Amino acid sequence: MTSNFRSAQGANKRKTYFLLAAMALLTWLVAYSALTYFGAGTTSFVLPLAVGIALVGVWGSYYGSDKLVLTMTGARVIKREDNPELFNLIEEVVIASGLPMPKVAIVQDSAPNAFATGRNPEHALIAFTTRILEVMDRDELQGVIAHEMSHVANRDTLVSAVAATTAGAIAILSDFLTRMMWFGGGRDRRDSNQNPLLLVVSLLIMILAPIAAMLLRSAISRRRESLADATAVSFTRNPAGLRRALETLAADSTVVRQRSNAVAHIWIESPLDGKSVSKLFSTHPPIEERIETLRAMESLGPQQ
Amino acid sequence: MEIFVVIGVIALLAIFIVAQYNRLVRLNISVDEAFAQIEVQLKRRADLIPNLVETVKGYATHEQATFDAVVAARAKATSATGVADVAAADGMLTQALRGLLAVAEAYPDLKASTNFLALQEELSTTENKVAFARQFYNDNVRALNEAVATIPSSLFAGLAKVSARPFYEVEDPQSREVPKVNF
Repeated sequence: MTSNFRSAQGANKRKTYFLLAAMALLTWLVAYSALTYFGAGTTSFVLPLAVGIALVGVWGSYYGSDKLVLTMTGARVIKREDNPELFNLIEEVVIASGLPMPKVAIVQDSAPNAFATGRNPEHALIAFTTRILEVMDRDELQGVIAHEMSHVANRDTLVSAVAATTAGAIAILSDFLTRMMWFGGGRDRRDSNQNPLLLVVSLLIMILAPIAAMLLRSAISRRRESLADATAVSFTRNPAGLRRALETLAADSTVVRQRSNAVAHIWIESPLDGKSVSKLFSTHPPIEERIETLRAMESLGPQQ
Repeated sequence: MEIFVVIGVIALLAIFIVAQYNRLVRLNISVDEAFAQIEVQLKRRADLIPNLVETVKGYATHEQATFDAVVAARAKATSATGVADVAAADGMLTQALRGLLAVAEAYPDLKASTNFLALQEELSTTENKVAFARQFYNDNVRALNEAVATIPSSLFAGLAKVSARPFYEVEDPQSREVPKVNF
C-alpha cells in the first residue's frame, strides 16, 4: 500500500494496459461468438458496421471534446483578468508539468468540483465550479489543478474515448445480434451440425458482453483517476494539498446539478450519487481510498 | 534471399542508432528549455523586487540594512550565469526576500495596504513558479543523466555530444537560521 508516486504511476499505467487488452479480448470473443452462431456472412457485415457506428459516435465527441463539454456543462471560458489568482496557480502547475497552458473555464454550480478535457494537451480545457474556488485554499486548489492537468498529461480523453468506442461497439453488436436472433434471420449455417454447447456459450457471450464492457470501461476510468492522483503528486510534490482537497470534497454532500451520465467520468469527484451506483460500475475509486493512498505518500516525507 | 536479411538487419540497426541519438539530443534540449524557464521566472521575480522594496520603504523607513541586502542579492542574481552561480544567487535572494517579508510583518499598516497584498500574491506565486521550474529542470536533468549513464543509450552519448548535466541545487533556506531582524 505504501507506494511513492512513481511506483503508483507505473502500477496504474500497467493496469490500464491490462484492462485495454481485456477490452480487446472481449471484442474478439463477441466477434468469435457471432461467427459461431451466425456464420461468416452475417458477421463480416455486422461487425464493421457496429465498430463504424461506435467510431463515428465517439470520434466527434473526442475531437471536439473541449467545445462539446462546454455546452454540456454550461462552462464559460475565462481570461486572466477575470481571476488572476486562479491563473497564477494554474501557471505554477503548468511550469511544474511542462505542459502548454490550457483554456480555463468556470461552471456556475453550488457543488465543489472540477474537470479536464480536450483531445490533446494543445487543446486542453480545465474547468472549475464557482463553489470549489470559494471553499478551497491555495494548496488544495493547487492539488485539484494538478489532478486535472494530470488528466491532460496522461491523455485521458483519448483513453476514455478508446474505452467508450470499444464498449459502444460491443453494445451495438450485441444489440444487433440479439435482435437478429429473435427474428430468426441471418443464420447462414442453421442446419449445419454444430456443437449445441458452443452455440449456447456464444449466445451467453453475446448477451453478457455489453455488461462486461461497461464494467471494464468503469474499471479503466477508476485506474485513470488513481493515476491522475499519483501524477498530480509528481507535479506538486505535495500530497497533502490534494488529500485535503479530496477531504473537503468528501465532506461536501452537494452534487453537481446536471447529473448527466455521459460526462460523469470527467469530474474530479463523481457527480453521481455514490449510493445509487454499485462500486463496480463507478467511474471513480472510493474517495476514502484515494485519501488513504495520498496519506501513505505523505508519510514517505518530502520526495524528490 | 540472404541479401534481404542483411539489408533488413542493417536497416533495423540504423533505425535503432538514430532513435538512440535523437533521444539523447531531445533530452539535452529539454534540459536547456527547462533551464531557460528557471531564468524566465527568476527574471520575473527580479522585476517585482524594486516595486516591493519601494512599497515597504513607504511604511518602514528604518530598515535600510534589509533593503540593502535585498538590492544587493537582486543585483547578484541578475548578473549570474551558469547553473551553479544562478542557483547560489537564487538562494541568497530567496533568503533576503524572506527577511524583507519578516520586516513587513511588524508594520500592520503596510500589511493592510492593497498594494502590498497584491505584491505579496505576485511574489508568492513567483516563488512557487521558481520552485516548480527548478523541479522541472531537475527532473529533466535526471532523465538525461540516466540516459547518459545507462546502456544502450550511454553508448551513443559521445556520438550525440551529450553529457551529464549538473542539478540545480539551492540550499534549503528553511533549514537555515531565521534571519535576525532588529525591531
